Amino acid sequence: MEYIIETKQLSKTFGREKAVNSINMCIKQGEIYGFLGPNGAGKTTTIRMLLGLMKASSGSIQVFGKDITKNKLEILRNIGSLVENPSYYPHLTAYENLEVIRKVVNVPKARIDEVLEIVRLSDVMSKKVKGFSLGMKQRLGIAAALLHQPKLLILDEPTNGLDPAGIIEIRELIKSLPAKYGMTVLISSHLLSEIDQMATSVGVVSKGELVFQDSIGQMRQIAKSKIIIQCSDVMAASERIQELEIPLEVIQDRIHLSQPTDQCVAQVVSTLVHSGHQVYRVEEVKRSLEDIFLQMTEKGQRR
Amino acid sequence: MITQLLRAEWLKIKRKGLWFLALLGPIGVVALQMVNYGVRKDYLLAQSDDDWGYYLSNVGGFTPMALILGLVILTSLMASIENESNGWKQWIALPISKMSVYASKFIIVAVLLFVSSCVLTILTLLYGRTLELGENIPWLQLLMNSFYPYLASLALVGLHLWIAIISQHQGVTITIGIMGVIICMMSYYLPDWVIWKWPTLMNDWNNPLINVALGVGAAIILLVIGMWDFNRRDVA
Amino acid sequence: MVNLLQAEWYKLRKTNIIPFILTGPLLVLAIAWNVELDMEGTEGFQYIYTSMMVNLVYAVMFLPLMTGVLAAIICRYEHQAGGWKQLFALPTTRGKVYVSKFVIIISITLIMQLLYALVLLAVGLMKDYGEPFPMVLIVKSVLGGWVATLPLIALQLWLSTLFKSFAAPFAVNVIFTIPTILVMNSEKFAPYYPWAQPFAMMYIAEDKRDVFFIPWEQLLTVVGGSFIVFFLVGYIYLQRKEV
Repeated sequence: MEYIIETKQLSKTFGREKAVNSINMCIKQGEIYGFLGPNGAGKTTTIRMLLGLMKASSGSIQVFGKDITKNKLEILRNIGSLVENPSYYPHLTAYENLEVIRKVVNVPKARIDEVLEIVRLSDVMSKKVKGFSLGMKQRLGIAAALLHQPKLLILDEPTNGLDPAGIIEIRELIKSLPAKYGMTVLISSHLLSEIDQMATSVGVVSKGELVFQDSIGQMRQIAKSKIIIQCSDVMAASERIQELEIPLEVIQDRIHLSQPTDQCVAQVVSTLVHSGHQVYRVEEVKRSLEDIFLQMTEKGQRR
Repeated sequence: MITQLLRAEWLKIKRKGLWFLALLGPIGVVALQMVNYGVRKDYLLAQSDDDWGYYLSNVGGFTPMALILGLVILTSLMASIENESNGWKQWIALPISKMSVYASKFIIVAVLLFVSSCVLTILTLLYGRTLELGENIPWLQLLMNSFYPYLASLALVGLHLWIAIISQHQGVTITIGIMGVIICMMSYYLPDWVIWKWPTLMNDWNNPLINVALGVGAAIILLVIGMWDFNRRDVA
Repeated sequence: MVNLLQAEWYKLRKTNIIPFILTGPLLVLAIAWNVELDMEGTEGFQYIYTSMMVNLVYAVMFLPLMTGVLAAIICRYEHQAGGWKQLFALPTTRGKVYVSKFVIIISITLIMQLLYALVLLAVGLMKDYGEPFPMVLIVKSVLGGWVATLPLIALQLWLSTLFKSFAAPFAVNVIFTIPTILVMNSEKFAPYYPWAQPFAMMYIAEDKRDVFFIPWEQLLTVVGGSFIVFFLVGYIYLQRKEV
C-alpha cells in the first residue's frame, strides 16, 4: 500500500457545474496533508466523497489501498472526520454527544474522558451543546473524530471559529498526531499560513482542479527570488541590459530581473554604472507563499 | 413599513410550497366530493330534495378539517423558515418593529387562506354545475359555505402562529394541530366556546354568524397577545 | 445493529418524547370516558362498543397522523446540526441507521397501542362496566392496528429523512389520511386503501378464523404490499442521500 488516500480522475458534477474535476490526490502514510484552496474551490465536496457521504460522478477513490465503494465500512472504521460545520445533537451535552458516537463505534467509555481532555472540554462536558460557542462546537467535533483512535483523520477547516489560542492548541495537537499515534492527517483550509505551519505536503485546489501537489518544501522552493533595480533613465538602461541578453521586465519604472544568478546581477550593475546610469537601489524580493498560492489559484480561475 | 415587510415575506415564502398547499387544500376538498359523487351520485341525490344544499353541506363537511390542518402547516412553515436558517436574529436586527414582523406573518397566512377560500368557492361552483343539481344556484349559500369557516378559523391562525413561533419544536405545533383537528371532528359533543369547534359553524343558536364573529374577534385578540408576547421575548 | 439501536435510544431518551407518547392514551381516555352506554344492545359489549367509538377518531385520524410526527421527531435531531453527516461517516451502514430508526418508531407505537388497551380497561373499571375485559379481542385489535400502521410509518420515515421541516411530511400525511373518512364508508375501496387499514384492523368484528379482523389476503397484499414499497423506497433513498 503506497498511499493512504489515492484518488484517480475524481470528479463530481452538480447539474452542469463541475465542482470537482479530475483530481488525482495522493497522501502518504504519516503525512499531514494540507488541502488548500479558496472558498468554493471543491475542497469540501472532495472530502465528502472521500468519506462516502457523496458518490463520485466519475473516477475512483482508494483509502488504505481499498476501494471506497466496495469497502466503505472497513475504511470508515479507521477514519475520524470533521466535515464543514461541526455536527452535534443540540439537545445533548458534550459528554452525551460523544456517548452516542461511542455506542456506534464501540470503544471503552474511558475514551470519552480522554478525548474531552485532549480538546480541553472536560470542564463543560455536562453542558448542553446548544449553548456552546462555535469554537467549542468545533473542538467537540474534533473530539468526536478522535474518539475511535482512527488511522486517518480528515478535518475540514478545523480552525474555523477558533480564537488564536485555540488555533495554536489545535495546531500543536494535529502536529503531534502522526508521531504519537501514527496517524495520517488530511486537513483543509483556505489559509496558506495555517497549512504552512503544520503540513508536510500540500495540495492546492482551484475551481475544482488540483493545480499543485507536492511536499511543502517543494512549494517553498517555488518562492523564487527577484532582483529589482531602480536607476536613472530606465528606458535606456533596460535597452542596455537587453543587449546582454538578460530577460527583464519594466514595472512601474523599475527593472525586474527574475531569478538571476549572482554573476548576472554583477554584470548588470557594472554595465549600468559604466554606461553612466545612476543606480539608486538594488533589492532582492522573495515571493511569499501567499503570492504563489494566489497565482496558482488565479490560473485556475482564468480558465 | 408593513407593506415593505409584507413584500419581503412574500419573497421569503417563495419555493417553500406554501402557495402549492394553499391551492391543494381546496382542490382536495372538492376532489373528495368528486370521488364521493362519482361513486354514488344517485344515492347522494336521493338523500335530499335540495340537491345544491346537500352538495354544499357535503363539501362543507371537510372544509373545517382542511382549514385547521392547512393553517397548522402554514403557520408552522412561516415559523420554520426563520428557525431553520436562524433568520430571526437577522430580521429582528433590522430597523423594523418586532410587532410588525409578527403581524406580517399573520397577514400572509390569512391572505393565503383567503385565496384558498376563493379557489374553494370557484371549484365548488364548477364541479357543482357538472353535477346538474338544478338551475337555481344558491349563490349566497355558496359564498357562506366557503368564507364563513375561513373567518371563523382566523382565531386558530392567531393561536397557531403564536404556538409555532414560541415553540422551537415543530413536533409540538403539529401535535397540537392533530389534537385540534380531532376535537373539531367531535365538535358535535363539545360546548360552543371550544375554539376548534368554530370553523364547523355549529352552535346552540344555529346561527353561523356567531362563530364568524367569535373567530374574527378572537383572532384580533390572539394577534395582539401574540405580538405583545413576541415583542418581549429574546430572539435566539 | 444493537449498538446503533442503543445509540438511537440514547438520543431519543434525552428528548421529551413522553408527552408525545401520552397524547394517544389521553385521547382514548377523553373519548372512552364520555362514551354514552345507555343505548340498547350494549350490555355485555361495553368494552367493545367503547373501543369502536374511540377508533372512529383514534384509528382513522390520530394513529396515522401521530406516527408521522413520531417519525419526524426521530429524524429531527439529525437534521438540526449535521447529524446525518456525522452518522454516515461512522463505521456503520446506512441501512442499519434506517432500520434502527424504524424499529424505534414502531416500538413507541406499540407502547402507545398497549396503553390504549390499558386505558380502556381502566375506564371500564372506573365506570364499573361490570363485565369481563375481552382480553383476546382487544389485544387482537391493538396489535392489528399496530401492524396496519407499519407501512404508514415506513412512508413517513422516508419523508422525514427527505425533509428537514415537519410540515412537508405532515402535509403528505394529511393528504392521504383525510380521505380515509370517506373511504372507510365504501365497502369497495376500504380494503385497498392503506390509510384505512388501521381502522379496519382495529375494528372488532366477529371472531373468524383469521388471526386479525381482516382477511389474510387483504393483510398480506394491502398492508404487506404497501409496507414493502414504502420501506424499500425509504431504504434506498437513505442509501443515496447526499449529506
